[in-house]
Amino acid sequence: MTAESLSAPYTVEFPFERTVGPKIGTFLGGLRDARLYGVRTERGVLCPPLEFDPRTGAETGALVPLVTTGTVTSWTWVPSRPGDPLPHDFAWALIAIDGTIGALFHAVDVGGEFARMSTGMRVCARWRQDRIGGMRDIECFEVVP
Amino acid sequence: MSLPEPVTTMASPFRMDYTYVAGVGRSVFLRGLAERRLLARRCPGCAQVYLPPPEFCSRCLSELEAPFELDGLGAVSTFCVVNFPFPGQTIEPPYVVAYIQVHGAGTRLMHLVREVEPERVRIGMAVEPVWAPDDQLTTSLKSIQHFRPVRGADA
Repeated sequence: MTAESLSAPYTVEFPFERTVGPKIGTFLGGLRDARLYGVRTERGVLCPPLEFDPRTGAETGALVPLVTTGTVTSWTWVPSRPGDPLPHDFAWALIAIDGTIGALFHAVDVGGEFARMSTGMRVCARWRQDRIGGMRDIECFEVVP
Repeated sequence: MSLPEPVTTMASPFRMDYTYVAGVGRSVFLRGLAERRLLARRCPGCAQVYLPPPEFCSRCLSELEAPFELDGLGAVSTFCVVNFPFPGQTIEPPYVVAYIQVHGAGTRLMHLVREVEPERVRIGMAVEPVWAPDDQLTTSLKSIQHFRPVRGADA
């Protein structure tokens, strides 16, 4: 009997699909068209949009078109793994889109250079060529030139 | 400017690749399976018998005693009938997944109960392991294809 431990590669996988509400659905439809939308609430324009204001529970209002620039409010540096949006190391960040409240979670590409990341930096969306109506229609955010 | 056509569903796939490390204790059990042997171990402190056995007792942290073999005869402790199809399913529903109390063990094994209609499975039913053919024996619970009712036993 050998004292060595056995090990084996495993994969857990499940192909979930979820339905989305009318406002998030329109937001995703906008991404497909390379346009960014938020929704009006009493507190300001929320991006990414929600069906209901988490603070008050009130139904959110009209969808409004937005610019695709914003400010990094928080971030963490990660090594790139298979399936990630970028082939080199990058940051996952919370991005306040200009003119909105809330925070959009996405990857920020600084060419793999950790030192170029900072809170408060200005970024803009880089659109994917083939868009399907999902968050990955934004390939990532990049430094505003 | 008109609003975009809304999307109604989004794919939200979950996938994680990882390495399962059995540990020294459980590896003893897994290597036993490849030889059609069910190896249990007893705790010297509290006498609990583990199947599958880890290296140390989870109740009193004592190192378990030397492995010994059980014949695999046991009873259905509890079970469920899987009726729901899902992606990646390898058996056509309905089928039975049960906790098996192997005689001589203080813990339970989860496995399939087959060769019986699902509606005939009962808690307490006497079952036995059906081992895989020689060329399919491996260091995994797949070495037991399933459990089945012991023929002639009155459940």
